[in-house]
Amino acid sequence: MNEILKASNLSKHFGGLMAIDDVSFSIYEGETLGLMGPNGAGKTTLVNLITGKYFTDTGSIQFMGKDITRMAPYKRCKLGISRTYQIPRPFPELTALSSVIVSALYGKDRSNQSLDDAGYEATHYLEFCGLFSKRNVLCKDLTLYELRGLELARALATTPKLIFVDEVMAGLNPAEATKAVRLLERAKEEFGVTILWIEHVMAALMKAANRVVVLHYGKKIAEGLPQEIANDPLVIECYLGSCHV
Amino acid sequence: MELEVKREKLVFRFGAQKFEWNIEPRYWRNPLIYVGLLIVLPILAYFFYPTLLPTLIDANLLAAIAIPLSWMTLGTGRMNFGPQFYIGAGGYAAALCSIHLHWPPQVTLLAALIVGLFFGLLMSPLAILSGGLYYTLLTLLFPLVFLEITFIYTDIFRGEVGLSGIAPLINVGSFTLNQLIIGLGALLMMLLYMFIVDKVMRSRFSTSLAAINDDEEVAAAMGVNVNKMKIISFTIPAVMIAVVGWFYAHYYGTFAGVTYLPLTFMLKVLMVNMIGGRVQIYGNVVGGYFIAFLELLLIQVIGDYSPVLFPIILLILLLTLPEGLFGLYRKRHYREYLPTLHVRR
Ligand SMILES: Nc1ncnc2c1ncn2[C@@H]1O[C@H](COP(=O)(O)OP(=O)(O)O)[C@@H](O)[C@H]1O
Ligand SMILES: [Mg+2]
Repeated sequence: MNEILKASNLSKHFGGLMAIDDVSFSIYEGETLGLMGPNGAGKTTLVNLITGKYFTDTGSIQFMGKDITRMAPYKRCKLGISRTYQIPRPFPELTALSSVIVSALYGKDRSNQSLDDAGYEATHYLEFCGLFSKRNVLCKDLTLYELRGLELARALATTPKLIFVDEVMAGLNPAEATKAVRLLERAKEEFGVTILWIEHVMAALMKAANRVVVLHYGKKIAEGLPQEIANDPLVIECYLGSCHV
Repeated sequence: MELEVKREKLVFRFGAQKFEWNIEPRYWRNPLIYVGLLIVLPILAYFFYPTLLPTLIDANLLAAIAIPLSWMTLGTGRMNFGPQFYIGAGGYAAALCSIHLHWPPQVTLLAALIVGLFFGLLMSPLAILSGGLYYTLLTLLFPLVFLEITFIYTDIFRGEVGLSGIAPLINVGSFTLNQLIIGLGALLMMLLYMFIVDKVMRSRFSTSLAAINDDEEVAAAMGVNVNKMKIISFTIPAVMIAVVGWFYAHYYGTFAGVTYLPLTFMLKVLMVNMIGGRVQIYGNVVGGYFIAFLELLLIQVIGDYSPVLFPIILLILLLTLPEGLFGLYRKRHYREYLPTLHVRR
């Protein structure tokens, strides 16, 4: 399996808080890597480091053999890194369709792609996420579940190779959560993307992920197959709340 | 010969021949109708009421400032409170070149363009570096600093009095005919700006501007080169506004910073923007004409419009019509128009 992303020794501090502390890991092409950890463990911060919202204090990030440690976020997107947000961040004043058009137009350098072309393409992603009927609704009028779908449609429309999914299930009821998980699985089949899937509930990841990385207070405390992680005493301890790493 | 108006049809009979026009709402949105109307207006004024011509010129020029300003506001995602800075830059560039170098208006246009481009590029990093409120305050400050400079270097800028003796735009001998031609010229410039900005708003460019306006960070994460877009949508409108300054200088033959650089002029431009809806380019035309005629009315009724009145009207507009007149329409038809502004604080 090819290494698609290699993060070595990443650290990030906010004031005195070490949000990420010397974390190294790799993502292999075609897999679903689960990233797990209690709230405030630094999962979102790790995604922010890799997608370029923040630059890492130490270490380096390689994407498909290219060093992207100091690359601007939009260039990383064009290379094929995309993400969704834990708390959906739609473009409130744009319709669902036009917000996906933004990704379709700018997610990758396509010469001579017109607005209409991008519109057709965006429609496909919207339909895939079950939002075709909502295409002309302003994003600020969508429900949370629809926004999650839109986040995914937007991320997929940039034609990514690697996609960071930040807590799709949070805030959804069980039925919606199941649908969201199935949607991700279908996205993986249809578009062949590699997924880094963040979740703080263990059970969901255990089923979906090929491998799991566990963060705790910014440190990587475990990495391995879901079964190993589920039986790791350290991880269990952390989730029960009595762990001091 | 017979003319008949049905519910959705206009039927015209001439002998055995019959002509029909459908009256459909989408026909009324044909821009040619409104362009025609705007062209007819100064011509009518020329024949029947020539004293109205300056007001029409003013209306067109105000709209010509507000239209690029809308683009700038959308593309940087911030409110610029200092568009008059570029009027000052373009106007003084044109005036100085005309007076000292005796360049004709066509050549001073080039000077205004270059000066506008220079200051536009120089200031565009502001849109990247400073957050919404600081940006607004800084842009508010620049014209006032410029005004101070015109007072300090009186020998160059002639402070309060202003520069005079600028070559006129056109001179065909008759004063009202001059005004008609200038009026049509101002209209042409406004329509050209409208055309350019409309093209931009309907191109693939516009979605990225709208995205930047809504959420810069997400836009960047989706592959939009935010900094480049911001610099472009700051600089080009700045140049366009500078050209309006050039027009003012040659139209009046005099140019004084005190006319354009203080807050009162900015308030007028902002009100044009507000009435139309901040990023509604068509609304700017409505706003331009509204403000120009309101000013005329106030001068006729009160004698001189009070500088207190405009801010009050602006405040009321801000509170009651946050999306302008066009916003009311857009609420029901949002599919047809691109986004409104979401001001970042
Ligand atoms: N921009 C920021 N400024 C200051 N602290 C931050 C910032 N972003 C995250 N943090 C802190 O970093 C820690 C990790 O946060 P986060 O990555 O969001 O956790 P998770 O996504 O695992 O719940 C938290 O304690 C949070 O308060
Ligand atoms: Mg998080």
